[in-house]
Amino acid sequence: MSDAPPLRPFVLEALRDLGASLSDGESLVWVQAPETVQRDLEVPANFALAFDAERSREFDAELVAPGSYFLERLVSVVVRRGRWDMSRCDVSGPEWISDALIECGLGPETAVTSRINGVEDELLLLFTFHVTLLSDEKRESFRLVAVSPDGSVWSVDLDRVELGLIPHPSPEIPSDLERAYLLATESLCVLTAGEVERFRTWSLGLLEEEVRRIFGYFDRTIDELRESDPSGSTDLIRTVMAERDRRLTEAVERFDPRASASLCSIRAILVPTARVQVEFPDGTRIESTLDAWSRRLRGLVCRICGSTAGPWRPSSRDGLRCVPCASKPAESARPRGRPRSDTPRRGRRAGEASARSPRGSKARSRGASSVRRRP
Amino acid sequence: MSLPAREPPPSADASLTLRFDDSDRDLLARAFRTPGDGPRAWRLNGEAHRISLVDGFDRLLAWPVLRGVTRYDHQERTALRVLREMRGRGILADEVGLGKTIEAGLILKEYAVRGLVQRALVLTPAALTDQWREEMETKFSLPFSVLRSVRDWDEKPFLIASMDTAKREPHRRSAQARPWDLIIVDEAHRLKNRFSLNWRFVAGLSKKYMLLLTATPVQNDMDELFNLVTLLKPGQLHTYDRFLERYVASPDRRVPMRVAELRGLLRDVMVRNRRGIAFTLPPRRVHSLAVRLSPAERRLYDDVTEFVRDAYWSASGRLPWTARLTLMVLQREIGSSTFAVSETLRRLAQSPLFRADERERLEALRQDAAAISSNVKADRLCAFLKSVDEKVLVFTQYRRTLLHLLEVLEADGYRVAAYHGGLSSAAKDAAVRTFREDRSIFLSTEAGGEGRNLQFARTVVNYDLPWNPLRIEQRIGRVHRLGQEREVHVVNVWAEDTVEANLMELLDRKIHMFELVVGELDLILGNLDERRSFEDLMMDIWVLRQAEERRSALRRLGDSLVRARAQYEQVKETNEAVLGETGEAVSA
Repeated sequence: MSDAPPLRPFVLEALRDLGASLSDGESLVWVQAPETVQRDLEVPANFALAFDAERSREFDAELVAPGSYFLERLVSVVVRRGRWDMSRCDVSGPEWISDALIECGLGPETAVTSRINGVEDELLLLFTFHVTLLSDEKRESFRLVAVSPDGSVWSVDLDRVELGLIPHPSPEIPSDLERAYLLATESLCVLTAGEVERFRTWSLGLLEEEVRRIFGYFDRTIDELRESDPSGSTDLIRTVMAERDRRLTEAVERFDPRASASLCSIRAILVPTARVQVEFPDGTRIESTLDAWSRRLRGLVCRICGSTAGPWRPSSRDGLRCVPCASKPAESARPRGRPRSDTPRRGRRAGEASARSPRGSKARSRGASSVRRRP
Repeated sequence: MSLPAREPPPSADASLTLRFDDSDRDLLARAFRTPGDGPRAWRLNGEAHRISLVDGFDRLLAWPVLRGVTRYDHQERTALRVLREMRGRGILADEVGLGKTIEAGLILKEYAVRGLVQRALVLTPAALTDQWREEMETKFSLPFSVLRSVRDWDEKPFLIASMDTAKREPHRRSAQARPWDLIIVDEAHRLKNRFSLNWRFVAGLSKKYMLLLTATPVQNDMDELFNLVTLLKPGQLHTYDRFLERYVASPDRRVPMRVAELRGLLRDVMVRNRRGIAFTLPPRRVHSLAVRLSPAERRLYDDVTEFVRDAYWSASGRLPWTARLTLMVLQREIGSSTFAVSETLRRLAQSPLFRADERERLEALRQDAAAISSNVKADRLCAFLKSVDEKVLVFTQYRRTLLHLLEVLEADGYRVAAYHGGLSSAAKDAAVRTFREDRSIFLSTEAGGEGRNLQFARTVVNYDLPWNPLRIEQRIGRVHRLGQEREVHVVNVWAEDTVEANLMELLDRKIHMFELVVGELDLILGNLDERRSFEDLMMDIWVLRQAEERRSALRRLGDSLVRARAQYEQVKETNEAVLGETGEAVSA
């Protein structure tokens, strides 16, 4: 999830990126647009932009605000561009390794020793996704997932995306892009599972309430009709039942929860990566990798929660724990069921986390009729 | 029982997982084959996605994009309540004048901005279709079309249709064939009877969200309230028998029982904002400037009228619709000024719609009109303006009248801001701005300042009177609206023995229209139970040949209007009794 960036800087920078010249006034921005922009945004060669509806009347300025036609056009143009990019993580000297180990919680003050077995460039892939949860309302989020060549996958914070990166002009087609994408989608499913489940439960709760009310009303109406005229026409009853079915269909269409994600862009990041051998006080040795961009020490697992994210707090008594688990009182830090991991299991295709389809045919009558039978 | 199988419904025991977009594959296939658009474009791509993210209804997104809409707390609260608590299905039952249309437009816009509404239908009385289209376009930038042909049901995603047209074949079938994301029903008290075509038509529409707009959900008896709520949310007021048993004091179905409990149920589906003290509009004062036409003007008026009557009852049988419309325009223009009618007379004198002898008469009338260089009404207006020392809005229906008045007023030393449909929107803005800053008179055609705030003035002059009373009310509404703090003056200029004199008799003396709150007139006219428009009614009376016939028809129409107003007052009281505290009183 992320907060929306401020509108004005985004619009101005996007227009500049598209080749427009801007003159930024106090209330209006004057734009000189090249032909491609004129065509794509349906604007004349020279036009004004207003960020306030009342000012947009001046000089027939294009209004920029959520829901305005201009912003919709601009967004649709911008999302068609910049869909892949190649960057390099720029570090000088080997100091970043010791700095990164300190950030990971494995600095010299701990009894952990680290040996560097070499540094070489590695190509990480960063995937960005637009996630949409939809029923009779919509909830969306923007997610970033990184995949390393060794198959590690992790969620990336937005503020890290540009950190230390510089353009890397030489085009290089990352090998096994497809496999990395599948890992990223699996990871995204795991990352959003809780949120998706909460949304599903909430939507089905609304549907259940609606279905119960519809059945209650129509069934009782039918009973009342039969009581008032036991020998009455069945046509009327059939009409009422048809109306009930129509209302139920309408309710299902309204509250049926859907979850989808679409890939927005990919960034390949060439990043110096160290092979590190970490030795713990008890003599355990772990072969790990540490890259200069994410500063994650890959290969370590919290023995309490199963997280691979770090930072770490090694202890000769309790072994390796992540900081959140180490900060908890001992009782609540016990593992509960399967340890949570941000690296998903391999070998399953995206969208196949469950063997059952939520929209399968078996589900159809069961969903509604189980609700109906409730008192 | 099994559900009708259109889309398989979700199951309570199935899980929900992310479904990935097929277009991802295209990107994977194309990525890195070319150098790309650079790191800035990549970053902007992410920002563009984040800017368009939607997260439920945490806040209203549409306000900044609305034009000429003053932001009121009660409207914002109403929109949020309908979006969050009622989940897009509600009855907007604000008292007249508190902005139900704005609330509905705001809710629609919020859905549209979020991509949740891509097809919307507004059902209104026929007289209000264009008004709705104009408001949705100018204030909400929503590209609505008014239903013109049966193809529109498929081709126009945002459609406005009159209920009377939509509910009949071939429209009915087309309207019900496709699902709608949102349906708005204006004047929804017309859905009071669940056995009526109106009710069954709306019930048969497939919809996700629905807004019912009415200031008077209860017209006659409690059945109507049940029918309205059941259309929206069946079961909310129990079954019909149970509703009668519990909430209606039998046998008088007009009297509610267990009112507090009933209001509790209604709160789940209805928002009813009422005027607090701060929202009570200041009173209107009406001034009548009746004039006697000069002999030349009188002769021209009578001659034009005689021509209209002759042509209307022409021996060749009933005139085609276009010709009748033309005659109505002619009669309305002569009521505005000799300058307005002159150009139309010239055009009609060459029109094949009329016979050779009629064209000769029209040419003679044109010459008579051209020979008149001044109008008594304009002199009377100048005299009135000399008596006031504040900004004044002067409305006329016709641009030629406007241009004449502009000449007269400027010659008299007035600084005038002219506003008409021929101006660009920048020039219109400039006209409103200069009026606010340093002009004393805003001279405007019907297009005058729709949606613009002109409350800094408080005097409206109707230099001519549109035959459609709702148009007159729109003019007054430019200054008599929320935000106006001073008493409003409405000045009507009209000539004796004209159609406009009849209008004054009906609207001012019979129903005191000029003292109503904006919006009440719609409801009164809606009670007339008349399929013809008010303009047609006026024309049909005016073309009667015998004066006694005209007087008697006018009397009958006046009596109907009086009854319609009394009925409205009665309904208002009933609704107050039943719904009274369903909503809260709003304050500025």
